[in-house]
Amino acid sequence: MKRIAIFGYSRMAVETIHRLSESEYQLMFIGGDAAEVGLVAGLGVDSRLVDFRNDDDLRAIGIGIDIDILFCFFPKDSDNVFLTISARALSDSLTIIATVDDPESAEKLLAAGANKIIDPYEICGRKTYAMLTRPDITSIMDETVFGRHDLNIAQIEILAGSRLENTSFSELKSIRKHNVILVGVVDRELGDELHLAVGEKEHKLDAGDVLVVMGSSKDILAFKEDVGSVCVETSDVIG
Amino acid sequence: MLTRLLVYFAYFLKSSPRYQKTKRFFYSLLEDPGSRLKPYFDVSMIAVVILSVLLLIYEIGNAQANISEWYERGVVSLFVIEYLLRLWLCSDNHKIILAHYEEADYLNIRFRLSKVIGILVTKKLEYISSPLAIIDLLAILPSYRELRVLRLFVIFRLFKLFRYLNSIKLFAEILSSKRFELYTLAIFLGFLIFIGSTALYFFENPSNGGQVSSLFDAFYLSVVTLATVGYGDIAPHTVGGRLVAMVLIFTGLSFIAFFTSIIVSAFSDKMQDMQVNRIYAELGRYRNYIIICGFGRVGQHIARQLEKDRQHFVVIDSDAAKVQDAKRHNYLAIHDDASRNDVLINAGLNNKATAILCTTGDDVINVYITLTSRHLNKDIRILSRANNEENVKKLYQVGATHVIQPFEIAGMVAAQYVGQPVAFEAIVGIISEEKRFIMETVCVHDDSFIIGQAVNDIDFAQRKLILVGVISTNPVHCKHKNRYQVKNQHFYFNPEKYFRLQAGDLLVVLGRKFGIDHFRSQVEISRLKLSRKS
Repeated sequence: MKRIAIFGYSRMAVETIHRLSESEYQLMFIGGDAAEVGLVAGLGVDSRLVDFRNDDDLRAIGIGIDIDILFCFFPKDSDNVFLTISARALSDSLTIIATVDDPESAEKLLAAGANKIIDPYEICGRKTYAMLTRPDITSIMDETVFGRHDLNIAQIEILAGSRLENTSFSELKSIRKHNVILVGVVDRELGDELHLAVGEKEHKLDAGDVLVVMGSSKDILAFKEDVGSVCVETSDVIG
Repeated sequence: MLTRLLVYFAYFLKSSPRYQKTKRFFYSLLEDPGSRLKPYFDVSMIAVVILSVLLLIYEIGNAQANISEWYERGVVSLFVIEYLLRLWLCSDNHKIILAHYEEADYLNIRFRLSKVIGILVTKKLEYISSPLAIIDLLAILPSYRELRVLRLFVIFRLFKLFRYLNSIKLFAEILSSKRFELYTLAIFLGFLIFIGSTALYFFENPSNGGQVSSLFDAFYLSVVTLATVGYGDIAPHTVGGRLVAMVLIFTGLSFIAFFTSIIVSAFSDKMQDMQVNRIYAELGRYRNYIIICGFGRVGQHIARQLEKDRQHFVVIDSDAAKVQDAKRHNYLAIHDDASRNDVLINAGLNNKATAILCTTGDDVINVYITLTSRHLNKDIRILSRANNEENVKKLYQVGATHVIQPFEIAGMVAAQYVGQPVAFEAIVGIISEEKRFIMETVCVHDDSFIIGQAVNDIDFAQRKLILVGVISTNPVHCKHKNRYQVKNQHFYFNPEKYFRLQAGDLLVVLGRKFGIDHFRSQVEISRLKLSRKS
């Protein structure tokens, strides 16, 4: 089970806590004051009062030891940058996801070692724009993939020894019998870019490549069993 | 009998589309500031006026040419037609007649024709006595050549330019807005000239050794001195006269400074209105546009996207710094409170605006703007931002079409990234059109080649497209599986091979933009071909 540390209290932090399943992740909240810690503890999450400026305190909660993912949700960008630098210095393999208030801080956070920057205002702007220009698609995705219905986008990593290893991408067209749609593939030989399932050149699937599929969780699982993939993760994407 | 005839005629005009269309056309040509036609008409009239004045001036020392006589007749005819059209447009007689007739009928009292005719005549006289209408009339007079004195009225042709030049109109408005200050100044000036003239006449009388022999000379000298012009044809020679002249010079300087400051302050007061009017005029030229209320981070991002897509929009924000920021990006921006009815109406909420986006960081303001917009326009799309979840319901209650929660979405994104970074990046990229491929809808129109076809017969793979699903309200499809209820329609995910498409269905396809566009154009072309055959 992956261990996740969430630093800083904000609406985004609360939303993230709600979204992360306790059965899949071990969550820990780290607040700057007792009130914040008390509020999150009320949600049933392990909450601690820690000074993020102190490396020893960070080590004490598991940064650089057994924490896999770290969220920086402080309202101030400078705090997030400082925490990112401190955490990266303690662990190279740690996945650091940080929120940003000022878009200019995004580059600083990346330079400090963050893996992913989340700008809530930019996401909201994109979402509003999508809703404005393509209401049909956005509504459908909101209600199905991101919403209450059991329609998911999932990634399937092809592990060594999988039945799919060393097969060609076109051979996957038999996927239709599983009632899932193959959206695309990340061919690691060509980088991390997602290639669409049609119209692209032929890809040879190797261990480490990732298939992106769409369907109900039951159908995705059936597809997984059929292809003999070891690692399947499905969820109501962004919902 | 006459009353019945008049009422019948009024009803006829009310129900006549041709009459309404003709009146609308002339209104847009002559009066409507937002019309596309009016600027062309105004420029043409400016050219006509200037040429006619130049010809009249040329005739002063020269014989009248035949061509100029014909031109003058043409110009006068044009002016007369314009005058009559404006007189016609200034009020709707049939509406006044019908309003009074229906009122009398409802109250069961006698319809008094003489009273209504009195109102109609008063309305027309009000227009005739307005300054611009008087100028229009006087501009026609110089053509009456029997009375050469009327040639003086040629100047009114130049005044006629007031109608066509917005900057002159604006200057007149500025003078009008400061009329109290200007009246005060004029009274002060009148007193000053009166006192100065009297004093100069007294001191500079030839009997005292001066040159001012009449009261008019004294008036002339005091005006020339006050204006600090000093031609020198008449000059004060006595000590008393020179003292008066010195006082007049200093007072004159103060007067000019005071007058200039009044005009400058009036201009600066009007500057904001001028800028807003320019924006309204610009918006009037667009076929449609979007109103963005709030130019914070979210509003800025949407504006960037709209600009990239070459869509028109206007920003409204009550924060002057944000409006300045929008202007720095060359966006149309209004510094005002977007929750006010007049601001939204002027911004075209009931006219050409297709959607309003409430993107301020304050839920209270967003609720208020949403409520105001829905109250003013029942059909407009309202997309509103909710920072707190508890306000989502309120926004829907007051009429929002969609509500977007930035922190909820960002939280979802953050959580999703943990488990499925590749799937997450793919779907976010597809939806936000960041990837090379996009997801779009293609409508199944009547008469297109895909109507009635099973999805298996449309070779999507050969077109390098992925059919994700079909959106439909058609009950025929209800038997199919993978059906998801979405508001008042259904989304059929990954439809079976035998799923037959019906008119009005929307295909949700994934592919490259040009692939989707090509497929869409094939559908449209087939539609045209089939309709031509039938």
